[in-house]
Amino acid sequence: MATHVTTVSDPEYQEVQSQRLLGFLFFLISDCVIFGDFIFSYLYLRNAAPVWPPVGIERPYLYLAAVNSVVLFGSGATMHYAMEGIRRARLRQFVSFTVLTIILGSMFLGGQAYEYTHLRDTWAGSTFGASFFTLTGLHGFHVFIGVVFLIVVLLQTLRGTYTPQRHFGLTAATLYWHFVDVIWVALFFLFYIY
Amino acid sequence: MSISELEQHPASHIHPPPDTFIKKYVFSLDHKVIAVQYFVTAGLFLVFAGLLAELMRVQLMGPNNHVLSTAVFDEAYSLHGTAMVWLVGIPLVTGAFGNLIMPVQIGARDVAFPWLNMLSFWMLPVAGILVFSSLLFGAPQAGWTEYPPVSLQLPLGASLSLWCAGVFVIGVSSTITGLNFLVTIIKMRAPGMTYTRMPLFVWATGVTAFLSMIATANLSAALAGLFIQHVFGVPLYDVGRGGAPVLWQHVFWFYSHPAVYILILPAFGIVSEVIPTFVRRPIFGYKAIAYSSAAIGLLSFMVWAHHMFTSGLQHWEQLFFMILTMVIAVPTGIKIFSWVTTLWRGKVRLDSPLLFVLGFLSTFTLGGITGVMLASVPADAQEHASYFVVAHIHYVLFGGTIFGIFAGLYYWWPKMTGRMLDERLGKWHFWIMYLAFNLTFLPMHWVGLLGMPRRVATYDPVFAGTNMFVSISSFVLAASILIFIINAWRSARQGEPAGPNPWGARTLEWMIPSPMPYYNFRDIPIVLSGPYDYGKPLPYANISQDLAMVPVH
Repeated sequence: MATHVTTVSDPEYQEVQSQRLLGFLFFLISDCVIFGDFIFSYLYLRNAAPVWPPVGIERPYLYLAAVNSVVLFGSGATMHYAMEGIRRARLRQFVSFTVLTIILGSMFLGGQAYEYTHLRDTWAGSTFGASFFTLTGLHGFHVFIGVVFLIVVLLQTLRGTYTPQRHFGLTAATLYWHFVDVIWVALFFLFYIY
Repeated sequence: MSISELEQHPASHIHPPPDTFIKKYVFSLDHKVIAVQYFVTAGLFLVFAGLLAELMRVQLMGPNNHVLSTAVFDEAYSLHGTAMVWLVGIPLVTGAFGNLIMPVQIGARDVAFPWLNMLSFWMLPVAGILVFSSLLFGAPQAGWTEYPPVSLQLPLGASLSLWCAGVFVIGVSSTITGLNFLVTIIKMRAPGMTYTRMPLFVWATGVTAFLSMIATANLSAALAGLFIQHVFGVPLYDVGRGGAPVLWQHVFWFYSHPAVYILILPAFGIVSEVIPTFVRRPIFGYKAIAYSSAAIGLLSFMVWAHHMFTSGLQHWEQLFFMILTMVIAVPTGIKIFSWVTTLWRGKVRLDSPLLFVLGFLSTFTLGGITGVMLASVPADAQEHASYFVVAHIHYVLFGGTIFGIFAGLYYWWPKMTGRMLDERLGKWHFWIMYLAFNLTFLPMHWVGLLGMPRRVATYDPVFAGTNMFVSISSFVLAASILIFIINAWRSARQGEPAGPNPWGARTLEWMIPSPMPYYNFRDIPIVLSGPYDYGKPLPYANISQDLAMVPVH
């Protein structure tokens, strides 16, 4: 991809970039549908159950998840400043804030791992566990992919792949990261508050 | 234009011309080659799935035959449905026709993401192998819908896992194709081609792409749910542990109802292309046909539970889905009337593409009407588990989709291969297929209304005569496809060269040589108005007017 970018003229790159951006947005929409399916399933099972959570199941601890949420939303902010850095051609700002985002994302994953190992309910244990572990696990997997995505684009940036004008890979990584943040808002509400 | 000239061309950044056999024919990035790959692969699966159907018809030749055991009979109809929907129908109408025609009709050199296009195609054989290999472990026996709890009660677990994995793969492929086509249509239309100047096949493909993108993503999630329920015992659908079997029906039909429109909308698009070409007059109600496709697309997300009237829905839910299902007949009717009005007093040329379109119109309309009958809750309660439903689905999916596919094949074959098909064989093919189709599926309405249940290997002897008749007709139906294969073979060996525009059509694919050159257009055309104004000059600024002539054959 990078080799093509250097050989085509700018208006054409703009066109290709706008196609990729639209394609990536469509990907995020279809990803959203996947979360939507499991959220629908959760609400359906919850509605069908006589008591919720099912007898003998305790809900996960709110405060740990709240701290974890703050960590994840903080990473959204640092991601934003990282992108500001690349747009204004401040490489150091980009690198430091991206590293910070990666650290915060990993902290979120660590918090989730801690929560998983300290819950008594299991994936196959109840309908609550089925919904909770499927949805938060799917989300955690997305965060993991996001962290990998960020590490890759960080290395690419250090090798000089992106410029302040041409950085579709960075735009995609940022969009993905914010998307994962927004999904977490819904999951946090559904499992810890509602 | 030579390859070296093309490399100078600004479009060569899409993908450079292939230099090896593998890059040219196996892992090709060219939308036209990928289309042919789809045709061949899905055609092979069509033969497998068709043979499964014929096996069932052999079993049903007598009321208590022992050709197939009941378990194998269940496997046969489960895989027949699975393969026909996911491995034959959807790949043919989207992957094959969409890839072959849509980019050319909008004046583009390829789809937006050629590499993703190649990936989508290669998921099809993988999915096919996964689905058919489940036969080795005793294939799933709960039908193509795989309702729990029946689907979870298999003696051997591997087959359902393979089935889930196979359908998941083809689902992801379908989502990617949808995304790819939608970006192509939105971003890559030739200068001057506004949305209301697009050919109607592009409209149909666009709406289909939207449905594939949204609905099929949901299918992937639903299948992942069935898979984790089956393999890890995660209680989503298992009623014994708080799960809900009806939940599976909701998430499955939320995909699978839009999926029937994924199967039929491109066929609508093909019909809208063929009719004006063969009656030499502008299509009646261009905007009505275009916008009714969009209306069908949106409504199709709001009718899924009409498949579940007998699954214990609330009364208000039944009423809601019954009314919306009947509403969907309105945009469909708008299309039918627009096509019939276009035919009305036209200069009709009864070549094989138009014959298949007329077959489509008559059978699809009948299937649509039985669809409205089934949408009525009290009638559905009686008809749901009977052969009436089998007759209905085959009138819309065989009489609709397959006739549409053959209309498109006869129409675009010269464009795809550069050679004509034999018109006489084409007419034989149509008439034998059309008669055998109706003799196979029309009697199923009657035995269904008389109470013959679907999905069973044995039946009451009073239905023996009709079933024998249906089985024999179905063998003729299968044999009629051989005529097409002979026709294709003869066309490849001694077919008459087609020239760029054998039918005298006006859309952009007919403005370039047949078969289509790499990169399609030397210069991207400039579009001045819509494509169906027969009798007026061609609506393209930089294309020779000579191409509008109808050659004499």
